Amino acid sequence: MVNESGPARAGRIATYNDPASTARSRRATCAESDAAAPVSTDTAVDRDSAGGSAIELRGLAHDYSTDSGVVRAIDTVDLDVAPGEFVSIIGPSGCGKTTMLRAVAGLLEPSFGSLSVLGGSPREAQRDHAIGLVTQEPGLMPWLTVAENVRMSLKLAGRPDAVDDWLRRVGLDRFAGLYPRELSGGMKQRAALARALAHAPRLLLMDEPFGALDELSREALRMELLKIWERERSSVLFVTHSIREALLLSDRVVVMSGSPGRILKDLAVPFARPRSDALFVDGEFLALEERIRVLLRTAN
Amino acid sequence: MQRVVRWLAMALPPLLFIVGVVVLWELWVREREVADYLVPRPSAVWEVLEGDPGRYAIAAQESLTAALGGLMVASLSAFALAVLMAHSRLLERALYPTALMIKVMPVVAVYPLFAIWFGFGIWPKVAIVALITFFPMLVNALIGLRSVDPATLDFMRSMHSSRWDLLWCLRLPSSLPYVFAALRISVPLSLIGAVVAEFLSGSSGMGQLILIANGDFDTPALFGAIVVLAFLGVALTAIVAAVEHRLLFWHESTLEV
Repeated sequence: MVNESGPARAGRIATYNDPASTARSRRATCAESDAAAPVSTDTAVDRDSAGGSAIELRGLAHDYSTDSGVVRAIDTVDLDVAPGEFVSIIGPSGCGKTTMLRAVAGLLEPSFGSLSVLGGSPREAQRDHAIGLVTQEPGLMPWLTVAENVRMSLKLAGRPDAVDDWLRRVGLDRFAGLYPRELSGGMKQRAALARALAHAPRLLLMDEPFGALDELSREALRMELLKIWERERSSVLFVTHSIREALLLSDRVVVMSGSPGRILKDLAVPFARPRSDALFVDGEFLALEERIRVLLRTAN
Repeated sequence: MQRVVRWLAMALPPLLFIVGVVVLWELWVREREVADYLVPRPSAVWEVLEGDPGRYAIAAQESLTAALGGLMVASLSAFALAVLMAHSRLLERALYPTALMIKVMPVVAVYPLFAIWFGFGIWPKVAIVALITFFPMLVNALIGLRSVDPATLDFMRSMHSSRWDLLWCLRLPSSLPYVFAALRISVPLSLIGAVVAEFLSGSSGMGQLILIANGDFDTPALFGAIVVLAFLGVALTAIVAAVEHRLLFWHESTLEV
């Protein structure tokens, strides 16, 4: 691949400040495999300062050029996610949550700022097969069975086959031989979850993973994810529109304001783990929920 | 049993229609006593076919070889070019206008050139067929290779997939519905191309057979050739459809409603 020949990669973070990169990063949103070109500038930093966090964003900003000029999607975002921490991002539509997540996943090159993922650049995290990605659309391959779809990530990562185990854990073991079009939306998303987790990524990136599901499937998958994550404890960046979902799952909830996206508030979620849906009627939970709701109302 | 019933339900109506048309035709020609050289009786056409099946079989084989040969050369090279173009907008911009120019060029005009280059055997025919079947495959394959589910592409890229992985595991299967759409167009085109080339060269195949029958005012023989060509076209299309159904079981187009 393109980025194989970079200099020694330990303790490097990617910084982006090249105005010319705006044009390139716009291409990164197109369906092109080569669009996520090598990062423009790499700045060496001490491994300890960079390696402490699973994700470290400094002054991250991104512009999209449109027909009517340049639009800033996110503006100078600073964010840290500690190893093993579950952080949710919540905010109004178009606040740049997805842009931020795609930058962390190495799918988009931000216009400005610096970005470190697991102590290196996003591309290096990709190369280590350290990223598990779940998006709103499941993105399964329709010509492969459920089991073959999950096996795809193991094959790409060169990890031993653990398909049966993962299918059991997401409750799909009886449907291993079915094709995606034979599954319900919730089951497809379960398969996508198994695919994202099967290669044991250290960082899980989820972009409204349950956003397209009906309320019942949402509820079920949410609890499933909670159960799985409390065993795995990988680092998670989780984009959602649901306050309850964010509070139930996360250690921290980051509230963002509308365009351009900025961080309004970074709230710790104090509830002990393992958690359950009993939290939904907890007084402190409800108070936090209300507080975020008010924050979001003013954010628009 | 159920499959047989379903198959009959599919095949019977068109078969009955064709049989009905042939019977009415026969009766009409007999009733009006139309001359065979104007509109031959279906039975007269059948007599010609039955009288010298070898002649038709050899001609059909010659035409079919040229058609399938040209189709294969064009489809494979067009797909290979589409793969290159799908990976490079520069290459696409550089080559597309030329491909378009070749497409709008009347093939008949190029035949003399091909005859000079390739002689009078099968090769100028193959070249003509390749020329007219190249463009549908190029355009469709290019669209197909690019029409990849963005969520799947994101997943593949987040897994550090190589270009080869992306091509083999994602782009290639994604392009199959478009490749078959191209084949549905180019398979009949390949027969047309072969017969046109044979008209121009007059040296072999169904085209030559038609030329001779035409010169003799042997209209039943002419009709015989048309029937054989129609049969070849239907058979080839059916084969493509069967393979498509097999390979694209996962695609919406094969959903049984």
